[in-house]
Amino acid sequence: MSAHGRRVALALTIATLGLGALAAVGLPAFYESFLYLIFSWIALATSWAILSGYAGYFSFGHGAFFGAGMYTTATLTTALGMPFLLTLIAAGVLAGLLGLGIGAVVFRVRRLRGELFGLLTLAITFVLATIVLNTRIDGGPGVYLSAVPMPRLLASPTGTLYLLGLLLAVLTVGAAFAIAQSRLGLGLYAIHDDEDVAEVQGVPTLAYKLMAFTLSAGIAGIAGGIHAMYVSYVTVGETFSITVPLYVVLMSVLGGARHWLGPAVGAAIIGASLYAFTGGQQAVLGRAAVAFALILVILLLPEGVVPAVIGRWRRHARAASPPTVVDIAHAAGGGRALTPAGAPAALECHDVWKAFGGIQALRGVSLAIGPGEIVGLVGPNGSGKTTLINVVSGHYEADRGRIALGTETLSGRRAHEIAGLGVSRTYQIPRPFAHFTALDNVALAATFGAGHRSAREARTEAQGWLEFTGLARRASAFPHELNLHERKFLELARALAARPRVILLDEVLSGLNPAEITSAIRLVREIHEQGVAILFVEHLMRAVLELSHRIVVLNEGEVIAEGDPRDVMRAQRVVDVYLGRSHVVA
Amino acid sequence: MPSATLLGQSIVSGLLAGGLYSLLALGLSLSWGLLRLVNLTHFALALLGAYLTYQLGHVFHVAPWLAAAAIVPAFFLIGVALHAVFAYFRVAEFASLLVTFGLAVILESLIQWFWTADYRRYETAYATMSIRVGPLFIPTLEMLACLTAVVLAFATWAWLRFTYVGKALRASAEDPAMAAAFGVNHRAQAFLLSGVSAAYAGIAGTYIALIATLAPSQIWTWLGVVFAVVIIGGLANPIGALLAGLLIGVSESVTMAVVTPAWAPLVSFSVLILILILRPGRV
Amino acid sequence: MAVRTFGRRSVLSAIFLFSFATTAWAAPSGQPIRIGGTLALTGGLAPTALLHKIAGEIFVEELNKGNGLLGRPVEWVLLDDQSKPDLTRSLYEKLITVDKVDLIIGPYATSGILAAMGVAQRYNKVYVHHSFGMPHLAKYEMHFPTASFGPEPQKSIPTTVFESLAATSKPPKSVAIVTSKFPSAQYQSSGAKEIAEKRGLKVALYLEYEFGTRDWGSLAARVKDANPDLVWIGALGLDGNQLLEAMKKLDYTPPRHFHLFPAPGPLAVAPDGKNALSVTVFEEHPPFTNNPGAAKLIPLFHDRAVKANVPYPHVETQVAGSWAAWQVLEAAVTATKSLDDKAMAQWLRKNRVDTVIGKLRFDGPNNYGDDLFKVKQVQDGKWVVVWPREFTAPGARLLPP
Repeated sequence: MSAHGRRVALALTIATLGLGALAAVGLPAFYESFLYLIFSWIALATSWAILSGYAGYFSFGHGAFFGAGMYTTATLTTALGMPFLLTLIAAGVLAGLLGLGIGAVVFRVRRLRGELFGLLTLAITFVLATIVLNTRIDGGPGVYLSAVPMPRLLASPTGTLYLLGLLLAVLTVGAAFAIAQSRLGLGLYAIHDDEDVAEVQGVPTLAYKLMAFTLSAGIAGIAGGIHAMYVSYVTVGETFSITVPLYVVLMSVLGGARHWLGPAVGAAIIGASLYAFTGGQQAVLGRAAVAFALILVILLLPEGVVPAVIGRWRRHARAASPPTVVDIAHAAGGGRALTPAGAPAALECHDVWKAFGGIQALRGVSLAIGPGEIVGLVGPNGSGKTTLINVVSGHYEADRGRIALGTETLSGRRAHEIAGLGVSRTYQIPRPFAHFTALDNVALAATFGAGHRSAREARTEAQGWLEFTGLARRASAFPHELNLHERKFLELARALAARPRVILLDEVLSGLNPAEITSAIRLVREIHEQGVAILFVEHLMRAVLELSHRIVVLNEGEVIAEGDPRDVMRAQRVVDVYLGRSHVVA
Repeated sequence: MPSATLLGQSIVSGLLAGGLYSLLALGLSLSWGLLRLVNLTHFALALLGAYLTYQLGHVFHVAPWLAAAAIVPAFFLIGVALHAVFAYFRVAEFASLLVTFGLAVILESLIQWFWTADYRRYETAYATMSIRVGPLFIPTLEMLACLTAVVLAFATWAWLRFTYVGKALRASAEDPAMAAAFGVNHRAQAFLLSGVSAAYAGIAGTYIALIATLAPSQIWTWLGVVFAVVIIGGLANPIGALLAGLLIGVSESVTMAVVTPAWAPLVSFSVLILILILRPGRV
Repeated sequence: MAVRTFGRRSVLSAIFLFSFATTAWAAPSGQPIRIGGTLALTGGLAPTALLHKIAGEIFVEELNKGNGLLGRPVEWVLLDDQSKPDLTRSLYEKLITVDKVDLIIGPYATSGILAAMGVAQRYNKVYVHHSFGMPHLAKYEMHFPTASFGPEPQKSIPTTVFESLAATSKPPKSVAIVTSKFPSAQYQSSGAKEIAEKRGLKVALYLEYEFGTRDWGSLAARVKDANPDLVWIGALGLDGNQLLEAMKKLDYTPPRHFHLFPAPGPLAVAPDGKNALSVTVFEEHPPFTNNPGAAKLIPLFHDRAVKANVPYPHVETQVAGSWAAWQVLEAAVTATKSLDDKAMAQWLRKNRVDTVIGKLRFDGPNNYGDDLFKVKQVQDGKWVVVWPREFTAPGARLLPP
């Protein structure tokens, strides 16, 4: 555990013990129940953010899991007489499984992101509410839990609920922190910025999303289970109202949804503000005043309270001491030889087909790249070059055909597995993770690429690759602060950090000026010298001829020529294709 | 098995209920899709429009269409003013949810301050009128609301599709930097759009006053279903919002007629979930 | 029999008033007695809670104009529970453990009342409440309801309604029951179905719809399709108005329509509300207005409600029930001369309390007494009680379709 981690764990433990002791001493019951409600909101908002804040899968259905938990506890305690604490486990498991089940179906559909995911989760809430309302789970009259015995963790029932709420809130915030520091968190953040790239860089996106969703839903379920006992009268109207899904979003946004502590802070602020004006005379205008205060806060701190405070504090700290970024870069990269992945291997594509709707993008493409070979892939626009890269890297699945790397079959595997076997790629238009620094962008590839590494190793190695590509001085810059040339090189650094055996380069030179092209070509050579095989898609013939050992020409999804660069480019068919005489058919 | 008349009548009723959903969804869809603002204030504005219509009609005896004639330009200005705030603070998509939620709560409080929390009902002579077509009855007001939704949806579609302003807005939504490079003055058009969206809320409000019962907390009753309509229809797609509203309305009302009313949300939203999962491209 | 009861009540209340008058000289003095409670001043339940707020304010002011309670002034610590049961619970905890109020009075509506009942139970507080719809759930021995449904409203209320209709010249033969899935409404309406069947009425249609439904046209079409002699609308607020309007648009007016918990004003004044039936414990006409408390309440409430911009400024079930709750609390304090919850509860369980809605007793199952609900009907734009006969408005009778 890092020093930061230990500090946070200590702080959470002290907070738990302190708040726990407070209850043991005997607070007036109101404070217990007031704080319980805030703890409950903290758990709900934080659990929501684990999926929706970290991974950006904006869920409008947190009420469904909360409600599932409430009704699990309500049903099990009343109909089956199960002890309350035991039902909490069931509530968590059931809600978690519900999340897992929904995720297992929904996360496979690539288009169900953004607002469509929000819609889907909202719809699921409606459906669940309707089922509960019209079946024996509730049926309409509500479930009343007054006769359910309350375990005596503390002397008073309110104290017990307070303690349960406290534990759940602390565990949830602790989990959110641990995830934020872990591979899972890193992967989720990457999914938030660009899910397809994350997958291609080796992040097991489906598994990670499922883990996050299950945990998020499970915690909401436990919170619901406790809350059923708290309100003691569970009705569909209250349980599945718009309040829970709306408030968890508002709280997370207010506190900062991408920070582990943000939702908790937002929940505390909004939760407490509900009590700000409960006095009978000023209730209506008081509500307006609270709303106005919320508006002011978010207008002044648009990225959320916690990130804003931390940012301000950091700026303050930075102003006090000179930047050290460059030094770190030298220390990390200096003297350490960077090595690509293990044994060189050949990449083979055999009879690969791919269609999109009615358009046949690849028609039985076969090609091979020997270990340590540079193969240039050329062809007119729309000939299927990028599609081939997408199919090899696993972004698309081939309709037919076999792709292999050495003895491993690639076709049929998920993109992150393919990345793990040592295939990495760059994008023609660089697709860095927008909220990651240059260093973190490369570190992510080092973490998830072939040869999994710990976070610290990955960062050290990432520094090395930044140096290798000449970006060391830009390590702490965010992608939008980099120019195109730097972003292209960042793509290369990422691809290399994954320790590939084969790199698929998609038009790395396009858009660069002549001086930049020269340095890029040199860089590709250096990469090759390390024993990596390269598939080189490029329009710039000078570079193709200079770098490639062999050339493959694609046209309309078919390989029309292959061989020595100069011979191939002189072949009549290739010339015809390039001059646009597409009537020439084999 | 329900009679053909019952089935037909329920389809009519669903279409008309759906028309009102669409009317509410239209403005929301525009500001979400083109300005990236998830505008919860829209619901509060619609209800404010309804209360104003009630006040003008019930207390001052101003005919609803005259009320609408006053409300629509006033709301346009409110929309412009709102956008001035959003633009000045550069409110992002996420933050807009919070800001507009706060504004909606403030409006709700103001409505309750002026009109109390008690129910208000605007009784009009034409509230119960309807047109008879064969065995079916088509309620006049709801039909007008639905027709208004249709007209506005197509007008908005044409506006976005064929005018310079519309094209510029769509271009800016897709790539603000590129549109700016081509000299598209996104900011001026955003004000226009925000005004139009608020004006739509005013129109919806007038119909709500005539058709429904008013209570301040009703701001939130429309939220779920209208959100669904906006997203099913596709952001910034007026025709989509129209069709989505009608679809949800009809599927709910047919379930109400054929099975049992309480199961209605299950059917319409299960259909929605299936569409989303099986044919995500269609949405 | 019932007439005699009433007579006794008048005598009793006269005695009560007399004893009151003799002590009601001096203005109250000393530490105020603080009575804590919440109401849904904002949120979905606010429309009706507003009426309870006005009633409570008037009651406390009147108390303080007199001799207060036990000679001490009374302060009502009213909080806004925002229509949220979870908040309601914690606010009652605040009232009891932080504000340390002397007495509590219940919030508005079933969910909130249940949420606070647990709190009252943990702190052994006498808990008088005025708007609870599901008697079988109220298990606390020191709760005292003034929504006087009796212990089994799902049986007694439909029985009263069907009996009243059976006594008319055209008794209905079939009934369509359309009910909201709001817990108390659904509970009593499902009882209505059983009672109707037991009484030999044909239940032509039984529909439950989601509370907060927006499409009334389909419901209306189904009722029209069933064409019953009576529609039982188990609805809250203005649902009934909406359904009637939707039916009117289909060129259909049900011969009779009964509304379980309607917002009284709009139904009385709406043209579609003609001959609408409902149940009530109080209307502004004799014999109810013969009660001296009622005579005082009506003009006060009217004034205050008009000032507060309430569209229907009349005393009926909600307001009278609220007033009665305060009367019960006052009676218990006055009779036991103490603020001791146990003593008050004991007294309440043994004695009858005279209130504007009648004589309440709390010695039945779950502390419920008699079902005091009567049948009322909209006649000439006003609600009048039409059943049972001894409570009917002067000259009124249940009008047949």
